Amino acid sequence: MYVKCFTLVTILLLSSSIAQAHTPLCSCFDNGDNIITCEGGFSDGSSASGVVMRVETADSRLLLEGVMNEDSEFSFDKPAGEYVVMFDAGEGHQIKVPGKEIVE
Amino acid sequence: MKSKLVTLLVGTAVLGLGNIASAHFQMIYTPEMAMKKGGTIPLKMVFTHPFEAGHTMDMGKPEQFFVVRTRGENVPKRTDLMDTLQPITWQSLTNSGKAWETTYKARGGDHAFCLIPEPYWEEGDSFYIKQNTKVIVNVGGQPGAWNEPVGLPTEIVPLNKPYDKWTGNVFQGQVLFDGKPVPGAEVEVEFLNHKPLLDSNGFAKEGEVEAPQSSFVLQTIFADENGVFTYGLPRAGWWGFAALDLDPDYTYKGKKCSRDAVIWVQAKDMK
Repeated sequence: MYVKCFTLVTILLLSSSIAQAHTPLCSCFDNGDNIITCEGGFSDGSSASGVVMRVETADSRLLLEGVMNEDSEFSFDKPAGEYVVMFDAGEGHQIKVPGKEIVE
Repeated sequence: MKSKLVTLLVGTAVLGLGNIASAHFQMIYTPEMAMKKGGTIPLKMVFTHPFEAGHTMDMGKPEQFFVVRTRGENVPKRTDLMDTLQPITWQSLTNSGKAWETTYKARGGDHAFCLIPEPYWEEGDSFYIKQNTKVIVNVGGQPGAWNEPVGLPTEIVPLNKPYDKWTGNVFQGQVLFDGKPVPGAEVEVEFLNHKPLLDSNGFAKEGEVEAPQSSFVLQTIFADENGVFTYGLPRAGWWGFAALDLDPDYTYKGKKCSRDAVIWVQAKDMK
């Protein structure tokens, strides 16, 4: 019983510290050749590889979708009009980067 | 009795090392160590006395200048920056000295800028000084391998991030020579008291603080048996840490050469 309680408490403590450590981060850059590169990750340094990335118009129409590669990067052709980049690592771990804030 | 003798001998050795204290600090300066967004940043390499913005030494052409970029779990990427260096003249409050500058396009993660300078001949002390220097700039808050050695011959490895310090935090670093800790290493600490003016390549005339007595200009601390030192940062700004003479037998052109390791830390007020 004690062992079970201890294990449960340990798991709770561990999950809690993991959750706190996972602040999502995403920065996007204009490469100057009509390609945008976004770099994702977490504040504890863990990888964002596989995180879903979406590019939407200003009125939330999906333009394209993909995932962060093994270097936690996602590149795409710069859309013609206004757009927003979504880094989606699940509930509470989403970041929106407006296209107008993406510069070289 | 024996232990007293040992203490005396150690004390003498420590005092002996103390003679090499110099207050020289190799700087790699850029205004912001913790950038919110990426962009092109200026870098100024100046060999000076930062608290007093005093005598600035002529730098020769560095032996190496490079950056190691790390972001998250990505493989570290080293980029040689030697070809980007441009000579400048840096104006101190008392003289001017040869220095170097460049710019660098920083994106996310940690960027460890590393300088291995040409040894500087210190006429007054009749020995050379060679301060291998590291400054870590972070972009966007995602950490990289800031707490791992870059592999410089002499190096201070930070045990907490040098770019996220609040005023009043402690900074801890481990002094390494040839990758191994240096027990009892002597570390000089100095505050960058005169703001560097990047447009005019010189120091602001007015200092931020006045030292109540000369001991406060340059503080000396010692690392523990693991080469680890600890320092509380009492004021926002840039703080330099220089571990001295880590390879006591080292010579350059037949003369004594103090092989030092320097790292800079930036503290910010909570407001």
